[in-house]
Amino acid sequence: MNAELRSRLEAIVGPGLVFGPGEPVDGVRPALAVRPGTQDEVAEVVRACAVAGAAMIPAGGGTAMGLGNAPARADVRVHLDRLDRVVEWDPANLCITAEAGMRLEALQELVAKDRTVLPLDPPGLRRATLGGLVAAGQTGPGRLQHGTLRDWVLGLRVVLPDGERIHCGGRVIKNVSGYDMNKLFIRSLGSLGIITEVTFKLLPMPARRAAVLGRFADPARAWAVVGRTLGSFLLPEALEFLNPEAARRLDMAPDTCVLAVSLAGSPETVERQAREFGAFIQEAGGTAEVLRDAAAVRAWEGIREVLEGAFEPILCRISVPLSATATLVAATEGMAREAGFRAAVTAHAATGVLRALLVPGPDPRPGEVAMALEGLRREAEAAEGNLVLEAAPPHLKARLDAWGTPSGGLDMMKRLKREFDPLGLCNPGRFVGGI
Amino acid sequence: MSEHAFIRDLREIVGRTNVLASAVDLQLYQYDGYLEEHRPEAVVFVESTEEVARVVQACNRHGKPFVPRGGGTNLTGGTVPFAGGVVIEMIRMNRVLEIDVPNLRARAQPGLFNLELGNALAPLGYQYIPDPASQKAATLGGNVAENAGGPHCFKYGVTSNHVLGLTVVLPDGRVETFGGKAADTPGLDLTGLFVGSEGTLGICTEVLVKIVRQAEGVKTLLAIYDSIEEGSETVSAIVAAGMVPATLEMMDQLVIHAVEASLHCGLPMDCATLLLIEVDGLKDDLESQAAAIGELCKAHGAREVRVAKDDAERALLWAGRRGAFGAVARLAPSFLVCDGTVPRTALPQVLKKVAEVAGKYDLRIPNVFHAGDGNLHPLILFDWRDADMKARVLKAGMEILTLCAELGGTISGEHGVGLEKLEAMRLVMTEADIQAQRRVKAAFDPANLSNPGKMFPAKEVACER
Ligand SMILES: Cc1cc2nc3c(=O)[nH]c(=O)nc-3n(C[C@H](O)[C@H](O)[C@H](O)COP(=O)(O)OP(=O)(O)OC[C@H]3O[C@@H](n4cnc5c(N)ncnc54)[C@H](O)[C@@H]3O)c2cc1C
Ligand SMILES: Cc1cc2nc3c(=O)[nH]c(=O)nc-3n(C[C@H](O)[C@H](O)[C@H](O)COP(=O)(O)OP(=O)(O)OC[C@H]3O[C@@H](n4cnc5c(N)ncnc54)[C@H](O)[C@@H]3O)c2cc1C
Repeated sequence: MNAELRSRLEAIVGPGLVFGPGEPVDGVRPALAVRPGTQDEVAEVVRACAVAGAAMIPAGGGTAMGLGNAPARADVRVHLDRLDRVVEWDPANLCITAEAGMRLEALQELVAKDRTVLPLDPPGLRRATLGGLVAAGQTGPGRLQHGTLRDWVLGLRVVLPDGERIHCGGRVIKNVSGYDMNKLFIRSLGSLGIITEVTFKLLPMPARRAAVLGRFADPARAWAVVGRTLGSFLLPEALEFLNPEAARRLDMAPDTCVLAVSLAGSPETVERQAREFGAFIQEAGGTAEVLRDAAAVRAWEGIREVLEGAFEPILCRISVPLSATATLVAATEGMAREAGFRAAVTAHAATGVLRALLVPGPDPRPGEVAMALEGLRREAEAAEGNLVLEAAPPHLKARLDAWGTPSGGLDMMKRLKREFDPLGLCNPGRFVGGI
Repeated sequence: MSEHAFIRDLREIVGRTNVLASAVDLQLYQYDGYLEEHRPEAVVFVESTEEVARVVQACNRHGKPFVPRGGGTNLTGGTVPFAGGVVIEMIRMNRVLEIDVPNLRARAQPGLFNLELGNALAPLGYQYIPDPASQKAATLGGNVAENAGGPHCFKYGVTSNHVLGLTVVLPDGRVETFGGKAADTPGLDLTGLFVGSEGTLGICTEVLVKIVRQAEGVKTLLAIYDSIEEGSETVSAIVAAGMVPATLEMMDQLVIHAVEASLHCGLPMDCATLLLIEVDGLKDDLESQAAAIGELCKAHGAREVRVAKDDAERALLWAGRRGAFGAVARLAPSFLVCDGTVPRTALPQVLKKVAEVAGKYDLRIPNVFHAGDGNLHPLILFDWRDADMKARVLKAGMEILTLCAELGGTISGEHGVGLEKLEAMRLVMTEADIQAQRRVKAAFDPANLSNPGKMFPAKEVACER
């Protein structure tokens, strides 16, 4: 099959753009890799793979390739990096359409020229591609004010697993013509097709930015500020908690936790909030530092990326109802200690989403990590939440399902998968419930 | 005989008096705000998820279709029982189940009116953002099924952006929960897919929504124009200036006259158009935002800008906007509410063309709409007793939707496809796009019992699979 498929693919994309074997995905190595250059070529590549019964692994920027279970099969790795064109930029209507392989950072640089932004700040911003971002649904601290990806995607073009090309949504803010098909593909981890184009809604750039960094010896005092913020009228763009281990990775301060506040808006509202947050922090017994404009932006880049770049990372994301956030941060630290690991933990403190990077301590007991993570997952699930393994070495993935106990609707998800990908060729086995 | 067995089964589930089956009763449920009528076999009033599940199971046993119905305020025939069967009336499932302030969530039954959730939250200082102009009579379930928007969605988004979880009775009668109180439930976003599905993927019996604090301050402005182009150009100018008002609504002269005649809000009668603009958020910059917007309005031709001085004045301005559809009803025996969307900058162009369409078909078409979203609502006035006029209305409506599609917009901003826009779907979708939607329907409802006949145009080619 390989030789034949290889020559089919070469006929589509031209020689030199099909190679093999492809880079492994969670230890599974695809025999071939292909780099189509247009959306039409993606469709042809997918059709050729479908005919050959070859399993496809779409690949963007590599920031979230560790997300999910190891693929059940991988025959062809489909790189989308050559699809990096802007299709249509309509600043007056605050929207932009670009191909899936375009890097988020490139898009941000472009739209900034018109003083607009796409208010998404996922980890790995530099390398993340639009398609991978949509497929993985990664989010950053800014979700507190701006919501998540699903709130900013207006339209998609997708190549379905049989090679059929479809279009969902459009480029207007309100659209209820038929089902909201964007939602089907956002966060579907490439299990239902390959995204080739995305239309985003944009936001005018705020006139001013500032950050307030609160340092606390006692985490309870930082959480008290979170509680006070929720009860106030204040509207921070992001509110991020960093435990001492995470703060240390940023060289922020040893042995203290940090509550970082991002402020964006008019000069009046930013200055007032900087003042009030400064007071909140001091009254809670912390020390406050206010950073403005470029310094604030730099600080946030650091905070956003603080857990990235580790070698063989064990990274998990926990979502719980907001009021359980502090408890889960503490539980995560406790779990890591038991397994002889240190945990760098950050939490989007007002949305209930936390991430933890496990770093081997002086006496690591790797065998115990899986059990400890199971325990933590039970705790998250008992709080009506979940724990997702974002990245882990293959031996850990072999012992621990990346997604945890399937939520309601699993049967419907499987039926949707069967409708769209009856042969199971698109990222097979990586997603929830073996989808 | 089987007819009887079916009704008997239904009565066994919900009790005798909760099943209507007499000709007179059924007549009341054969229509909604659209033009087509079809009679159901029965109407069932339900009070719990379990009852809904059992009714749907009975429908499965007897091979009968069912149509959930909330307030019946959709304007596209969504609640008309196209293929007969049962209308499942949700209006008695109207309780607020939980207001969870520490987690910023509220849970409610689907038959609750949108405004009632707002009323329950207001004393606590919280709000649920989506607020369709019909909020007094539209239910949360209907909002979910239509992905309703409202005057505040320009800044805050539509229903889909605020619903986090659903309890759903699937078309085969099983009960499932999608999403939940924590963010990012792993798996496909079934909640997102269900929102906007117009009753064709099952019945939602519980809604879990995001709630937010009420804004610290609000400022409401009314800008008055002698030309409709200048008004609609201002909308783009405000956005281009980097401002994101909570509301940017527009009404034209015919609507203003109707509103004044019925509601007496003190609107000027001699202008061409009005913009209702609201900014909200922290109070510190509201004055300066309002002043900047006022300047922009004037620079784009507003002859006067009024700023509401207090809550009473603000309420009066809003009463005019919210009552507009109702007020227009005094202009003619009937009207068809068009619901199309264009990119905001195309508003001046599309409004001009709508006026041309009115001329061409000899119809009056007032406009009141969500200008910030580019979501227009031409209201095509007619007399339902005049068959010729009715035919012209349908043609004019289709022509307006075609215009929207040509200008880069779409055929529905908030009211859905229903029965009205089946064929219009082809204006914005290829056969492959529609086929993909059919796959979703097939996964959820292989027997095609959940609100059949809606949303999908007739098949052009036979399904290959
Ligand atoms: C300069 C350079 C540096 C690198 N550094 C690293 C590194 O530090 N760490 C590392 O792990 N690799 C690194 N790589 C490897 C490289 O980034 C990855 O092999 C490859 O690009 C994977 O991208 P991705 O799919 O993971 O993108 P992601 O965008 O992270 O993909 C996330 C998920 O979505 C799916 N997906 C992606 N795009 C689509 C789409 N369009 N439609 C549907 N589904 C999609 C994927 O299958 C995956 O499941 C590097 C490569 C280069 C060239
Ligand atoms: C004067 C007026 C103003 C309006 N303004 C707006 C506006 O500003 N924004 C806007 O978005 N819309 C507006 N609408 C349209 C309409 O009010 C909304 O679409 C509303 O959400 C419909 O709610 P309902 O309870 O009346 O639903 P219904 O009309 O009863 O039902 C609508 C659809 O939802 C389905 N359905 C109902 N309940 C359920 C359930 N529990 N589970 C699954 N499916 C269900 C029905 O089968 C039907 O297909 C307006 C309508 C009027 C008459």
